[in-house]
Amino acid sequence: MTAPSATSRRRWRRFRYPDSLYRFAALLLFLVLVFYALDYLNVHLERLADVGGRVAVFLAERYYPPDLAYVTDADYLAYVGETMQMALLATVFGLALAVPLAWFAAFNVSPSRRFFYPLGRFSITGARAIHETIWAILFVNLLGFGPFAGVLALTMFSIGFAGKLMAEEVEGIDRGQVDAIRATGAGPVQVLIYGVIPQVKVAWTGIAIYTWDVAFRAATIVGFFGAGGMGWYLRRTIEGLETERTAAIILTILALVMASEALSAWARARVMNR
Amino acid sequence: MAAARGSSEGVRRSDAIVARRRRDRMRRYGLYLLAFVILAWVFHSTVVEATDWARIGSLGSVLETLGRFLPPDLSLAPQLVQPMIETFMMALLGTLLGAFLSVPVIWLGAYNIAPFAPVSYAIGRGLMTVSRSVHELVWALIFVAAVGLGALPGILAVAFRSIGFIAKITAEAIENIDRRSLEAIYAAGGNRLQVLRYAVMPQVLPTFTSVVIFEWDINIRRASIMGLVGAGGLGLTFYRQMAMFNYAGVTSVIVAILVLIGIGEVVSYLLRRRMI
Repeated sequence: MTAPSATSRRRWRRFRYPDSLYRFAALLLFLVLVFYALDYLNVHLERLADVGGRVAVFLAERYYPPDLAYVTDADYLAYVGETMQMALLATVFGLALAVPLAWFAAFNVSPSRRFFYPLGRFSITGARAIHETIWAILFVNLLGFGPFAGVLALTMFSIGFAGKLMAEEVEGIDRGQVDAIRATGAGPVQVLIYGVIPQVKVAWTGIAIYTWDVAFRAATIVGFFGAGGMGWYLRRTIEGLETERTAAIILTILALVMASEALSAWARARVMNR
Repeated sequence: MAAARGSSEGVRRSDAIVARRRRDRMRRYGLYLLAFVILAWVFHSTVVEATDWARIGSLGSVLETLGRFLPPDLSLAPQLVQPMIETFMMALLGTLLGAFLSVPVIWLGAYNIAPFAPVSYAIGRGLMTVSRSVHELVWALIFVAAVGLGALPGILAVAFRSIGFIAKITAEAIENIDRRSLEAIYAAGGNRLQVLRYAVMPQVLPTFTSVVIFEWDINIRRASIMGLVGAGGLGLTFYRQMAMFNYAGVTSVIVAILVLIGIGEVVSYLLRRRMI
């Protein structure tokens, strides 16, 4: 047994010399980038100094008694109903398109890796990359004001959202079952129906419910650009500086989103536990 | 054959099963029908009735409108570089700020490490829900009103929108950590802070990092619309091109967004691969 003389005196470090230097350099570089970004964006950090207090004062003074009578009005409630309808319809359309696209975009079971895989990937990524409000503006431009534009914008959103999650779910399935179906001479569609869908059915149902939840959240906003639903009221009250009404509308959005989130969590828990 | 042997018990039971299956099937078809009727009604009221079909015109005129967006206006390209960098940086700073701000929320909202669990848990979870429930556009409107125009409200909006998701996932990870390592640090005489540093942090840091990277990816697309309500970046360029009816320019902005998202996706993929 040798005496641990030389090593015991040295202070223990997690990272040894070259590694520690790289880590330090990376951290330094990152900090430089952050400060460069702050400078580039011309951010005045001193404005942040009392932002909390300012927001509080300004909420208390201008937004405080939310005009609850305004949001219990029948006209407004009709728009709330329209928002729900838009979210529902867009989720159904979006899922109907997301399922085949997710199938194309899942590398392991894609019907054609050369043609359909890039097609599915590109469609899903494209639908996802463009924010729902931009889709809303584009569809309003194309089709005019109203919920139809909103439904289409939210459909694109749902495709992007559900498609990505569904494809990822398919990519994580057990290969054995897929190979077994394939070995019987099944074509790509049969592989999908008998090898893939039974494995992802529960997860896909969960994703579908989640998509509805998230699409509803987006549906409350697309109206801001004229694409139907309660967002239009938000715009109107903001531009009219009717701050107490804006406050009431934001509160209704919060309440509805929380309710939809609770509902979707409950439904997902039920699906998963069965 | 069981029936022939005179076991009326078995017959009755199998009849009951058949009847129940039939009832279940009928109920299922009934539900499908109901769902279909509801969907058809929703479709009718939101799409068929509420749309100004005369404004849309024929399919040809829609395609013509669509044609105005093509081809992209390449002359705009030099003017897109700066907004792209701005959007990228807004997303970066927003994510960073969100990650910092989420730390106290995580601490409050993770049941097993929270300072005074019953109360702080409710507060922490409430903050997470509010953060996620308020759309980034609404956050942006609030902060534009509070700190004025510019990139700062965009950064704040992105940050506040990210807190909820980062905090929720991390808090759930903390609730699932190995209790024994916490107890080991306590047993060695560690105080609460040391427990957080040496027992909790090492276990959840990978989750935290990967959720922050994931959120950063999403925040690029959030940052790209902040300009619509006065917070700079590509959204502002988009808004201006739209206001000038320069539809080819609008397409260029969309291409720029796609490029930026593509870069973000590649970077986040590389980062995540390095981390794991």
